[in-house]
Amino acid sequence: MKSMPVSFRLSLCALAIAGVSTSTLAAEECPIPGNVRVVIGSTSTGGDTYQNSSIVVDRLAEKLDINMKVDAVGAMPAFRALERSSNGSTLMIFHDMAYLGHLYGINGYDNIFEKYKVGPTVAINPGNAYLVPKNSPYQTVDEIIDAAGNGEEISVAIQPGGVSEIGFSALKNAVKIEYPGMEDNIVAVNTGSQADKNQLLFNGYADVINGSVQANEQYTRLPEDDQKAMRFVWLTARNETIKQANEEGLGETTREELLQYVTPNVSVTMDGEKDFTFDKEFFFLYNKDMSPEIVSCIDNALGEIYAQGEIQEQQKSLFFIPNFLPSSEAAAHLKDKMARYETVIENIQ
Amino acid sequence: MDFFSQLTPMILLLVFAGTLIGIIFGSIPGMTATMAVAVCLPLTYSLGINGALALLLGLYVGGIAGGMVPAVLLNLPGTPSSICTTFDGHPMAKKGEGEKALKVGIVASLFGGLFSAAILFFLAPVLADFAIKFSYVEKFLIIFLALTVIGSLAKNMLMGIFSGILGVWLSLIGVYPVTVGGNGETRLMFDFMEYYMYSGFSLLPVLIGIFGLSVILLDAEKGLKGDGDGQAIKLTKGSGFSFRDIKGQLVNMIRSSSIGTFVGILPGVGGSTCSILAYTQEKNFSKDSSRMGKGAPQGIIASESSNNALTGGALVPLLSLGIPGDSTTAIMIGAFTLQGIQVGPLFINSNIDTWYMIVTMLVVANLIMFAAMFFAIKYIAKVIEVPKHLLYPIIVMMCVAGAYAINYGIMFDVWVLLIFGVLGYIASKVGIEVVPLIIGFILGRSAEVYFVKSLESFGNFTIFFTKSPIAVVLWVLIIISVAFPIYMRMRSRRGGDAVQSN
Amino acid sequence: MESNFLSLFDVAIDFEQSHLFFPRIVTWVLLIMLFIIVIRERKAILPGLSRAGKAVFSKEGDFDRFRFFGTLALTTAYFYLMYAVGRMFPNTGYGFLLMSMPFIFLLSLLFVGIKTRRNVMIIFANAVIAPGLAWYVLSQLFNITLP
Repeated sequence: MKSMPVSFRLSLCALAIAGVSTSTLAAEECPIPGNVRVVIGSTSTGGDTYQNSSIVVDRLAEKLDINMKVDAVGAMPAFRALERSSNGSTLMIFHDMAYLGHLYGINGYDNIFEKYKVGPTVAINPGNAYLVPKNSPYQTVDEIIDAAGNGEEISVAIQPGGVSEIGFSALKNAVKIEYPGMEDNIVAVNTGSQADKNQLLFNGYADVINGSVQANEQYTRLPEDDQKAMRFVWLTARNETIKQANEEGLGETTREELLQYVTPNVSVTMDGEKDFTFDKEFFFLYNKDMSPEIVSCIDNALGEIYAQGEIQEQQKSLFFIPNFLPSSEAAAHLKDKMARYETVIENIQ
Repeated sequence: MDFFSQLTPMILLLVFAGTLIGIIFGSIPGMTATMAVAVCLPLTYSLGINGALALLLGLYVGGIAGGMVPAVLLNLPGTPSSICTTFDGHPMAKKGEGEKALKVGIVASLFGGLFSAAILFFLAPVLADFAIKFSYVEKFLIIFLALTVIGSLAKNMLMGIFSGILGVWLSLIGVYPVTVGGNGETRLMFDFMEYYMYSGFSLLPVLIGIFGLSVILLDAEKGLKGDGDGQAIKLTKGSGFSFRDIKGQLVNMIRSSSIGTFVGILPGVGGSTCSILAYTQEKNFSKDSSRMGKGAPQGIIASESSNNALTGGALVPLLSLGIPGDSTTAIMIGAFTLQGIQVGPLFINSNIDTWYMIVTMLVVANLIMFAAMFFAIKYIAKVIEVPKHLLYPIIVMMCVAGAYAINYGIMFDVWVLLIFGVLGYIASKVGIEVVPLIIGFILGRSAEVYFVKSLESFGNFTIFFTKSPIAVVLWVLIIISVAFPIYMRMRSRRGGDAVQSN
Repeated sequence: MESNFLSLFDVAIDFEQSHLFFPRIVTWVLLIMLFIIVIRERKAILPGLSRAGKAVFSKEGDFDRFRFFGTLALTTAYFYLMYAVGRMFPNTGYGFLLMSMPFIFLLSLLFVGIKTRRNVMIIFANAVIAPGLAWYVLSQLFNITLP
């Protein structure tokens, strides 16, 4: 009887090993393990990171014929999990926060280009926006910049250290360029979720909030006498990015209307000549030591998926802009982006 | 109406399946309603919005209600919001009234669920507009009010308050996260600990460590005596359930359900807060609260009607502002975004059919929950008769699975289970009170954020008193909540002196 | 911190240091309360400690050292091995499955009062079926990440 559990365990072990080895054999040209966990930098399963990751991962799993699962563990645990596993069984998907966190000096954010391998980009969320109450005295971003330049204090509700703050930094930078010395009139109100940012606007404790087209579009359609009514003043995305969105836009706001809020119609200067723009991009991150075969295998698989064209439809229907770049191009592109935002952040320090 | 045609047997089947799975998840120690919704979310993608919501609402209602089962039978809250159910539920189970306790809880849950569904249906937009009047200051005061409950739950006032503050202190370990507006720096630890402890201790492993593992350790220390001989809890003893137990509790049920619904409506005030608040308010305002904590049905009613009322409440801001009211609805919002449906202030008017469906499914889920649990309870309650040497190892295993899964696969959370199991064991030896400690732990992080953010915005301590009429009302409640247990203690001490001569 | 107080009720929180503001208050209150408790209970502390020491280290008394430390040791080993084995089969939950079986078996044996043949058979069956079922339902049906 004592021997029974042992033999049972052994047979289970054998079963387990057999299970693992068959799945790896099946994809001989692609040495990726049969069970892959994709950790994401957000703990929310209702947010854009999860949404995007599940679209991409579902299709990738089908293409590679392996099990893949998205786990919303959050940025720091995701980085840790990625560091521990170099055989490709753990991958990560995150967005620009990955390097912006480093630029803003947030504890725990290392330089992703040194510590990890940057994988392919998959999509852009074009919705990063700044809003004011519908009855705000400020009609445009220009008026906000002028007001700050003329000594009015403008408080902007943001979540510190990432995508939410970069637009705020750009605003501050623009004030510094147009009205040197007045940039401290743009004040950050550091807060957390979209709910908290909205709340600050409702209660009148912020003049401007960071938000998104997705989360705030309905608020912009409320009548002006509603305490909750808001108005877009600025979308940080590039003009070309918004142009790629579906014509119907989002909710009742068409693409044409959204284009009013991006450069060149709204101008937040970056250096006195060019306008500042920011696309929130989603991309893979890999362990530094993951084998190049797996990297190219995922690149190829995603390349085929994007060549088929279905994924673009799905992404666009959920208001994402498809933006596939294979690993090497993605790394160069993101490095370039990081260098650009570094100058903005350094300039206002 | 068009929506009747959408109410297909398939939808009803999904509500049914969701509710049953939810009850099972909730009943297993270590598994929670939130987890049930999270694991089923990816499965809902192919179901369409109505099907997805049918399943998830069933899971939500079933999961919250199922949490009372281990709370009553094992003294281990199956879900954080059923902590207060253990206070009276387990003493009743020990007296052999486990089945009765569960039935009282089920009736209270049904009442709470239906009450909040009605509120949701009739008052959602109005209440959402009221809820946004609560800024950081008022939210801090609500948390503070919930913290004052420690005074009335503590056995020894000094130790109880110390334990509560220790709980707050423990909850602050780790990062002040940027996702709540913090600066991303860690505190209350040494640098070398940061690798593991960056995110601090999660509530679920702490809870099941303290309530589950430490009890197993305490029993192991005693050599598991009482197992197998006549000491084991039997179900047959004690009086059975009759609707007389609920008579006279209508005020309690309405008050507790209102508290549950309202706490659900306030975004950012955690779901576990509601049953704590409801429990203390019952203790403070009922005519006779002397038996509460020793096995009084009124305690179970307060806790269970409020935590099930949370479900409808938490849907109010979700559906009328696009903002989740608690951690479970935060996951549910994913069902909308995955389907590409916007939730926001215009959701109800632009999706009127879906809106009717949601309310209908919420009511149906509550009825199914009631029917399934009321008639199955006799068999579920038999868990308590399983010998401990078989039951305890399984509990540990399920707690491990739950702790690991709650943050989607973090091994440190499993170690937290052990750390707090041992801590809970030591605490019980040195007189630290576990219940105040866990309440402090639950409320600590929100207390910090709202406190610090209030001061950051206003720069003056007086703001907590002068902010708004709502703040004044909350202060009155806080003062009552603090003064009442002191008064009761003084009165019982005087009474105690008289009795002591016996 | 004292210098931050401009007047009695005014307070300015530096964002860079805001992570310490609340914890400092809580730590101070905690220490003060601990101090009060130690003063009030000073007579009970030393005898209490020696009683605890006796209970753990001496053979007398009700303290079941074998079961208590056995539980602790088994649980620690279980947690450690589960992760170690799980790393050999990433993302399959085999670490959980393969380690839960011996853990449940051994812990049940440790806890059971009388080791009759029938009892051991039940324990064995339980140790195989329970983890198998839990693993199958959680990791296969619900796709939950397990160690």
